Amino acid sequence: MSTIGIIANPASGKDIRRLVTHASVFDNLEKSHILRRVFLAIDALGVPQVLYMPDYDGLVEKALKGLKLSLKADQLHMDMWADERDTTEAARQFCEMDVGCIITLGGDGTNRAVAKACSEIPIVAISTGTNNVFPSMIEGTVAGMAAGMAAREMVDVDRFTYVAKRLEVYVDDQMAEIALIDVVVCTELFVGSRALWDPHRIREIVLARAEPDCIGMSCIGGLLHPLGPRDPQGMYVRLGGGNTTVLAPVGPGLISKVDTREYRLLSLGEEVVLEPAACTIAVDGERQLEVFAHQKIRVRLTNRGPRVVDVRRYLYEASRRGVLRTVVK
Amino acid sequence: MAARTITFREAINEAMRLEMRRDPTVILFGEDVAGGATLPHMEGENKEAWGGVLGVRTGLAPEFGRNRVLDTPISESAFIGAAVGAASTGLRPIAELMFIDFLGVCFDQIFNQGAKLRYMFGGKAQVPMVVRSMIGAGFRAAAQHSGCLYSIFTHIPGLKTVVPSTPYDAKGLLSAAIRDNDPVMFFEHKLLYDIEGEVPEDNYTIPLGEAEVKREGSDATIVTVGRMVHFSLEAAEKLANDGVNVEVVDLRSLSPMDGDTILDSVKKTHRLVVVDEDNPRCSLATDVIALVADQAFDYLDAPCKMITAPHTPVPFSPGLEDAYIPSVESIVSTVKSFTG
Amino acid sequence: MSLTKEKMLEAYATMKKIRLFEEKVAGLFAEGKLPGFVHLYAGEEAIATGVCAHLSERDYITSTHRGHGHCIAKGVDINSMMAEVYGKATGACKGKGGSMHIADVDKGMLGANGIVGAGGPLACGSGLMAKTLGTDQVTVCFFGDGAAEQGTMHEAMNLACCWILPVVFVCENNGYAESTPWGYHCAAKNIADRGVAYDMPGVTVDGTDFFAIYETAEEAIGRARRGEGPSLIECRGFRYYGHFEGDAMLYVTEEEKKRNRARDPIENFKKRATERGLLSEEQIAELDSKVAAIIEEAFKFAEKSAWPENKEVLTDVYVNYP
Ligand SMILES: Cc1ncc(C[n+]2csc(CCOP(=O)(O)OP(=O)(O)O)c2C)c(N)n1
Ligand SMILES: [Mg+2]
Repeated sequence: MSTIGIIANPASGKDIRRLVTHASVFDNLEKSHILRRVFLAIDALGVPQVLYMPDYDGLVEKALKGLKLSLKADQLHMDMWADERDTTEAARQFCEMDVGCIITLGGDGTNRAVAKACSEIPIVAISTGTNNVFPSMIEGTVAGMAAGMAAREMVDVDRFTYVAKRLEVYVDDQMAEIALIDVVVCTELFVGSRALWDPHRIREIVLARAEPDCIGMSCIGGLLHPLGPRDPQGMYVRLGGGNTTVLAPVGPGLISKVDTREYRLLSLGEEVVLEPAACTIAVDGERQLEVFAHQKIRVRLTNRGPRVVDVRRYLYEASRRGVLRTVVK
Repeated sequence: MAARTITFREAINEAMRLEMRRDPTVILFGEDVAGGATLPHMEGENKEAWGGVLGVRTGLAPEFGRNRVLDTPISESAFIGAAVGAASTGLRPIAELMFIDFLGVCFDQIFNQGAKLRYMFGGKAQVPMVVRSMIGAGFRAAAQHSGCLYSIFTHIPGLKTVVPSTPYDAKGLLSAAIRDNDPVMFFEHKLLYDIEGEVPEDNYTIPLGEAEVKREGSDATIVTVGRMVHFSLEAAEKLANDGVNVEVVDLRSLSPMDGDTILDSVKKTHRLVVVDEDNPRCSLATDVIALVADQAFDYLDAPCKMITAPHTPVPFSPGLEDAYIPSVESIVSTVKSFTG
Repeated sequence: MSLTKEKMLEAYATMKKIRLFEEKVAGLFAEGKLPGFVHLYAGEEAIATGVCAHLSERDYITSTHRGHGHCIAKGVDINSMMAEVYGKATGACKGKGGSMHIADVDKGMLGANGIVGAGGPLACGSGLMAKTLGTDQVTVCFFGDGAAEQGTMHEAMNLACCWILPVVFVCENNGYAESTPWGYHCAAKNIADRGVAYDMPGVTVDGTDFFAIYETAEEAIGRARRGEGPSLIECRGFRYYGHFEGDAMLYVTEEEKKRNRARDPIENFKKRATERGLLSEEQIAELDSKVAAIIEEAFKFAEKSAWPENKEVLTDVYVNYP
C-alpha cells in the first residue's frame, strides 16, 4: 500500500501542434527534471518503494542518475510498444500491485490511457503535454509530497479526491474507447498525426467538462455553458451551419470563430448517438478511431472515471493537521 | 618467441590487446568498437555484436570492459579531438576513424590540434595517440570509402604516418605507434585484413621510420607501401622470370621516412620506381622521387618512374575500380621499359 | 490532410516499389551479383513516401547511405537505379557512384551520401539558392539518428534557422547507428526536442504510419514554402535488414524483430486504405503485379546493360596530370 507508481509519457508535448499552432515544447529533459523533484520529495517523506513504467527515452533512469535516495525505484517488467498501450499496461500492473497512488506526467491522452486500467487508485496528474484539461500545472516537488503523504496515509487521501467523469465510446455496441474530457467527430478519414486544430473539420463534440479557462474543444463548450469537473453533467455540441459562433482558443495561440448549430446538456448515464459517417473519432484531443458510415457510434457520460487527488486541498488539510510539523523542545 | 600464422586482422587485434594488458592508460574508442555492447540485453554478459565493421576488434570489449573499449556517437570531431585531449593529459588513446575518407569531418582536431600542440606549447605537451583507419580501393565501396590519403597526413608536420603491409609488421608497428609519444596515423588497407603471415605470440615493436627491403635485387628499386608491396613483390617475381632483379623497399612508415634505405638501394640499382595507390599529386610518389632527385641524382641511370592511381576519385564499377588501382602488369611493364 | 484517391494509389505504388526494389537487391546481393555493400531501406518506406508526396521535381532532397527509398520516392528512374547498383554504364551515375551515391539532380535528388551527416549542409545550400532566387522550392534533408550526432547536422540546423531557409529536416530514427543503439549515442534521448535549441518546431511522429507522416510533412513543407522557416520531424521506426547486407543483426532481439514485423508500414497502409474503401483489393493486386514487373524489368535492364568503358575513370573530373 505504501508504494507509489509513476507513469511518465515520453511522447507528450511533441506532436504536430508545434507546427500548426504555437504550442509550447515540453522537452524530455524537463520531464526528467520534474521526475527528479518528484523522487526527492517522495524520498523525503519516507516512502520505501517507487515503481515506474519503462520507456524508450529513459526518462526515469535519467531522473535517477546520480540521485542518492533511500527508496527503491524499480522498473516494471513489461513488453514495450512505445505507444499508449505501455501506459495502460503499467496502470494495470500498478492496480494489481495495489500501489498507494499513481503519479502521471503527460497530457489528457496519457491520463486517459491510465484511466483505462487504474480502477480506484488515486492519481496525482502533472501536466507535461500541450493543451491539457485533466492534469494540472503543478510543481513536481509539491506533487511528490502530496503523493508521499497519500501513500504513507499521513492524511486520508480519499476525502480529497474526486471521481472524474468518463465518456464511453461504443462502436456497434462494443466499448471501443473512453475519454476524460472530450469525444470529437472529425471529418478526416485517418487518424494521421492525431491532433485537432481546424474547427472546420469538426462536426460533433461530446464533453465531460466544458471549461472556459482551458484550450481546445472543452473551451468551445465552456463558452456556451461552463461545466467543471465536479458538475454532474456533460454537454453535446453540434458544429456548423448554426447561428451562434464562439471565439474559442482551439489550440495554443490559435483562436478561431467556431460556428455552432446547437448544444445541450447531458446528465450522468445519458447517451448521445453520433451522426453516422465515415470519419475519425478523437478522444481527449487525439484522433483515435477510424469509423465507417455503417457503424453506430454512441457516447455515454458516466461517473466511472479515475479518482483524482486535489493536491491543493489535500496539502491544506495536511497543514491544518500539522503532519510535517515537529516542535523542537 | 613462438610464432604462428595469423591474419593481418588478428595481428592488429593482438597488438591492441597486448598493449592494453601492458599499459592501463591505453584505451580504445570509435564507432561500433564495442559493437552494441551498450544494449541492455547485451549488458552483463559483456558480449559484443560486431567488434567493428570488419571485425578487427573482436574480443576486446569483453576482455577490457566498457570503460576501456568505448563506442562513440557518429561525432568524429568530438572523439578524435577527445583523443588529443586525453593523450595530452595522460592517456594513450587509440581512436578509430572507421574509413580514412571521414577525415574530412574531423581534420581540424588532427591537423590543428593533435599535430601542433607539442610544438606550439614549446614542448610542454605530448600527444601519444594513435588514429587507426581503414584505407584503400578494391572493396567496391566507391568514392567516399576507398581513398588512401596517407599523403595528406605525411604533409603535416607533427604527425607520424604508418602503413603496414604484413601481419608481422602490423603488429610490431602498431605496438610501437601506441608507445610513441607523438600522434600516429595508422593506416590499415582493408584488402589486407585476410592475408596471413608468421607472427610471434609475444609483444614486440618495430621502430617507426625503418623501411624493410622485402626483396633484394640489383636492376631496379621499387619503393612502395601497404597493399602495393604485395603487387610489387608479385611483379618482381614475374620480372625475375625474365631475368630482371628488382629490389622492393617497403617503407612501412611515411613519417618518419627511412631515406637512407631508399638512397642506399637506388645507389645500388640506379633505377627507381615508386608504386603508390594514392593519387599522384603532392604524394608519397613525388616525395620519394624528390628525395632521390635531390640526393642521389648522379646515381640514376634512368628517369624515376611513378605508378599511382590517376588523379581522380575512386570509381564504383568493378571494372573502373580495377583500372584505377595500379596493377601488377603496369609495374612489370614500367620496370621493363627501362631495364629492358 | 489533402489525401486524394490518386495520391493514395501513388503512395502505395511508391512504397511497394521501394520494398520490392530492396528485396530484389537483397536477393541479388546474396547471390553475389552486386559489388560493394548495400544499405536497405525496407521498413522505412512510409517516411520517404509520405514526405516526398508533397514535393515536386523542382524541390530538392538530400539523402543518406540508405538512399534507395529516397530516390524512388523522389522519382528517380528505377532502371537507372538498378543499373547503378550493379555499376553499369546505364546507371544513374554511369556506374561511377554505386548504391551509396545514386543521384539525379534533374529530379531534385542531390545524392545518396557516404558521409554520415553530410546532407544537412548541402540542404542549406539548395535552401539558400531558393531563398536567394526567390523561388518557392523546398529542400528536405533526410538523416539518420546516428547522423543527428554529427556536428555537421547541428551546424546545418542552426544555419538553416539563422537564415530562415526553406528546409525541412527529417530524422529517420530507426533506433540504431550500425550496431550502436540510439539510447546510447543520443544523450538527451530525443531528437525532436532539439528543434528548441535552433528555434524551429520539432515534432515526433510514428515512422511506420504513412498517414501521420504525410499530414505532418504537409504542414512542415507548407511552412517552408511560405517562407516561415525550417522544421524538424523525427520519425521513429526501424529497418528490417541489417545495417548493410551481411550484418546478422545480433544486436536486435527476436522480440524486437517480431514487434517490428507487426508494424509493417505497407501492410498498415493497405489495411486502412482498403477498409476505407479508397483502394480496392483489385487495385492493390493490380498495382502489386505492375510494380513487380517494373522491378523485374529494372533487373533485366541492369543485367543486360554494358559495363562502363575504362576511359570513364578519367571523365567528369578535372584531371591535370601529364
Ligand atoms: C562521417 C562518417 N562516419 C561514419 C560512417 C560510417 N557509417 C555509415 S552508416 C553509419 C550509421 C548511420 O546511422 P544512422 O544515421 O542512424 O543511419 P541508418 O544507418 O540507421 O539509416 C555509420 C557509422 C560514415 N559513413 N561517415
Ligand atoms: Mg539509424
